[in-house]
Amino acid sequence: MTATAPTAVPRKPVGRGRVAVHIGCLVALLVMLYPLAWLLATSLKPADEVIASLDLLPGHLEWSNYKTALDGVNDVSIWRLLGNSLLIAGGAVVGNVVSCSLAAYAFARLRFRLRGPLFAFMIATIMLPHHAVLIPQYIIFNKLGLVNTYWPLILPKFLATEAFFVFLIVQFMRGLPRELEEAARIDGCGPFRSFFQVILPLTRPALITTAIFTFIWTWNDFFTQLIYLFDPDKFTLTLALRSFVDASSQSAFGPMFAMSVIALLPIVLFFLAFQRFLVEGMASSGLKG
Amino acid sequence: MTTTDIPASTARPPRSTSAPARRPKREREGAAWVFLSPWVLGAIVLTLLPMAVSLYLSFTDYDLFNAPHWVGLRNYTQMFTEDPRYWRSVTTTLTYVVIAVPLQLALALGVALALKNMRRGKGFYRSAFYAPSLLGASMSVALVWRAVFNDGGTVDNLLGSGGWINKPGWSLLAVALLTVWQFGAPMVIFLAGLQQIPAELYEAAAVDGAGKWRQFVSVTVPMLSPVLFFNLVLQTIQAFQVFTPAFAVSGGKGGPADSTLVYTLYLYDRGFVASHMGYASAMAWVLLIIIGVVTAVLFRTSRTWVFYASEGER
Amino acid sequence: MPGHRTKGFCASAAALALCAVLAGCGGSGDTAAGGKVVLRYTWWGNPDRAARTEQAVALFEKQHPGVRVQTSFSGYDAYKQKLAIQATGGDAPDVMQLDYRQIDQYASGDVLLDLGKVKSALRTSEIDAGLLATGRVDGTLYAVPQGRGTETLVYDVATWKASGVPLPKQGWTWSEWADAMRALAKKTGKPGATDPGQSEDAFEVWLRGQGKSLYTKDGSLGFTASDLTRWWTFADRLRREGTVSRAEQTTQLDGTVENTPLGRGTASSDFNWDAPASGYLAIVKGGVALAPMPSGTDGTPGQYYKPSMFLGVAADTSHPKESAELVDFLLNDHRAAKILGATRGIPVNETIREQTASQLKDFDKTVADYQASLEGTLKDPPQAPPSGDNALQTTFARDYDQVSYERMSPREAAENYITEAKAELRS
Repeated sequence: MTATAPTAVPRKPVGRGRVAVHIGCLVALLVMLYPLAWLLATSLKPADEVIASLDLLPGHLEWSNYKTALDGVNDVSIWRLLGNSLLIAGGAVVGNVVSCSLAAYAFARLRFRLRGPLFAFMIATIMLPHHAVLIPQYIIFNKLGLVNTYWPLILPKFLATEAFFVFLIVQFMRGLPRELEEAARIDGCGPFRSFFQVILPLTRPALITTAIFTFIWTWNDFFTQLIYLFDPDKFTLTLALRSFVDASSQSAFGPMFAMSVIALLPIVLFFLAFQRFLVEGMASSGLKG
Repeated sequence: MTTTDIPASTARPPRSTSAPARRPKREREGAAWVFLSPWVLGAIVLTLLPMAVSLYLSFTDYDLFNAPHWVGLRNYTQMFTEDPRYWRSVTTTLTYVVIAVPLQLALALGVALALKNMRRGKGFYRSAFYAPSLLGASMSVALVWRAVFNDGGTVDNLLGSGGWINKPGWSLLAVALLTVWQFGAPMVIFLAGLQQIPAELYEAAAVDGAGKWRQFVSVTVPMLSPVLFFNLVLQTIQAFQVFTPAFAVSGGKGGPADSTLVYTLYLYDRGFVASHMGYASAMAWVLLIIIGVVTAVLFRTSRTWVFYASEGER
Repeated sequence: MPGHRTKGFCASAAALALCAVLAGCGGSGDTAAGGKVVLRYTWWGNPDRAARTEQAVALFEKQHPGVRVQTSFSGYDAYKQKLAIQATGGDAPDVMQLDYRQIDQYASGDVLLDLGKVKSALRTSEIDAGLLATGRVDGTLYAVPQGRGTETLVYDVATWKASGVPLPKQGWTWSEWADAMRALAKKTGKPGATDPGQSEDAFEVWLRGQGKSLYTKDGSLGFTASDLTRWWTFADRLRREGTVSRAEQTTQLDGTVENTPLGRGTASSDFNWDAPASGYLAIVKGGVALAPMPSGTDGTPGQYYKPSMFLGVAADTSHPKESAELVDFLLNDHRAAKILGATRGIPVNETIREQTASQLKDFDKTVADYQASLEGTLKDPPQAPPSGDNALQTTFARDYDQVSYERMSPREAAENYITEAKAELRS
């Protein structure tokens, strides 16, 4: 590597090195995607093979798993379930991006009393296992009359309760040179304009990351949806697919897998749609034309 | 892509320490609280209040159904002196942290770096490597994982090692590998961090005659350090609280022979299965202190290796 | 320009947020629909049970035009968590399905209504007195059993018949069972059954066969370390000789039939409750049949009719009368019974059980016939277990893991269990 250094001003990786990277990546992918292939294959297995068989490929293709899954659960159509999931995940994305970036800006770039202790407190809030606060939180939402609505799933996101994302955005904002705002300030920008016009656009990779993670994590968050939603009309795909499995009676693992695959599609699309924005950082101005 | 040219070029040079006129202090202080207001509201109502309740409960005997009654430090003394399973869960969790965190971070960083300068197929690889993380720890993942690591499953067939999930000595590794397998989140964060490094810094370094390794050490590492630090802190915190992978792989029981009974799984078991919410709350607060100490140490060391452009020279 | 993009982003963000707000509001409004009494009714089960329950509930609403029933269900494990949190948060549904192990806890925590207060709307005269008593705590009726089940030895018919080992018969003893399993294992080359050592349920049947019980009337332990040592020694020996499944297989049990050795095709039989055993039909190619559980050496039966689930009413319901009517309807209405069939276990209402017996089909009929074959031979069920049993069931399996992975002797593990159990029951 070091041998080519002095002459290689416009960096051009050696062709062979690039091939090696590709081969390495492909091999790693083969291993990593194997369980996913398994999941796909299992969604087409007949009932007697789903658990008992340890072969990758199904004996014959059982498309009825998908038919059962597409019929929905408990008279609620799959479209309704999908819509509910989308609504919750979409609301959470907006909430997290807005509220976490606001809070992060204050922590990263503004000075105020108690900044240190408050920041420490914020980090501490993710250290307490959430099982310990589950019941008090439930009682609060119940007192507010919000149980069996989507509020307990969305409202916390608008109040920046996920310190993970606040901290993430803080780290990205702290990585931006201070001169950016100084320059803006000289041009007469207050904190609000410099936030919206200078800092926010430059933090886009972090905001996109926040959006992607929030969408996926909210989508998959079985437990919160389970305890706060009562009415089957409000159920989500994630809840519905679990109702195929009941230890006290007959489970339908085949349809459960089929529904997992169906539930996966929207998050795959969301990821594919948003991941390309990840490259739009500051680096795009230079090398990565 | 061209839209971001302007601020990027105004950003150079990054290391001067000049400080032009500042706004009046009070105004900026007020602005800060405006930005913080949603967080403050959420922190008080949805975080501080429940945390205070759980702290109180940790000094009580509370079975969920009848009013809690004060027992002082009994939960804590019982935990430390009378519950061997508690101590086993502590060591299990520490082992898990030591296995899972470095492996996951190394993999995420390695893949992110490999993809960084890739010209073709970057989007494809990024998506493909992220794919396992899309699933979370759902029931279907749990079943797939158990099939792969079962007796006669793929791993057994390839290595002839028997099924890992059924061996007390190996099951925790299967749990850790589930976490490592889903390394998409730290990878994406690394990629986003790498994207933020101004290309000009590399160009300047190349002009100065720095080779690839040198560029990595003197540009990538310091510029990526805030993100590296973030991933390290967050993955460590999350690893201490690991729940879903252990729950999924062991079918919720922490078996075989308690080998995957990690801290929060045992906490959950005490609180929600056995209905000793007071005891579970005490466990939660001890964990908070453990994680707090570890995190504080990480923050302390960060002063020596994390570089923030906004603070100029460290 | 960056500013441009940000504005677009903010606009779409605001639009999405508004959507969320509107949807949230729209959703919360319907609980007080049009002056009707709204009852919330929850149960655990699978989509099939849900479909039949919906049908029955629709019929109830037709008969009670002033009442609307809002139903909800989830799988068993999820249901238990959800109900506990709802009950703790003061938000228990009006009518709820309950498990044997929940009764004591929910009753003592004042979650459940004293059903004596709604006697006029809720008839219990056609339910066997011994079975009905399982819903009482300290003499007060808090829950009514809805269906009954009993334990069974479920076996792969084709494999067992092909092996030439004599089929199980009523009144067989535990040592006869062990001999049969040993013979099966020899003939088939795979274990005869799941290792029963991990199962508190199987232990209870064994214990009752000796005239003892898991818990005494006042809710403390009904057996000693030596009893448990004997049971675990018995299981330990069978496991070591390959008569029952290895630790590696037993540890995969998660409550579903699919993950049992029989379900995976690595054993020829299993102990399970009768109704859930229907799950084996789809996965055991040779077909399954039900046989009685082994009894004590003197023929004392250990198994009993256990209420497979109960119905209870929330103590703080605003509509106790309507709730009781719904419970009454689900238990005693003939048309409801016709719709529900045996989806919640064989009905406890004796008139209905006799009437519906002839209409049952497929596995429901198998279960009904199996229960009929035991009629009159079993002893009364024990009262609902103390709330500590929730945790002890898991502890039992955990401590046996130490035996099956050969880390402790049966006696050490048994003494451990007794210590833990005493602590659990004291608190």
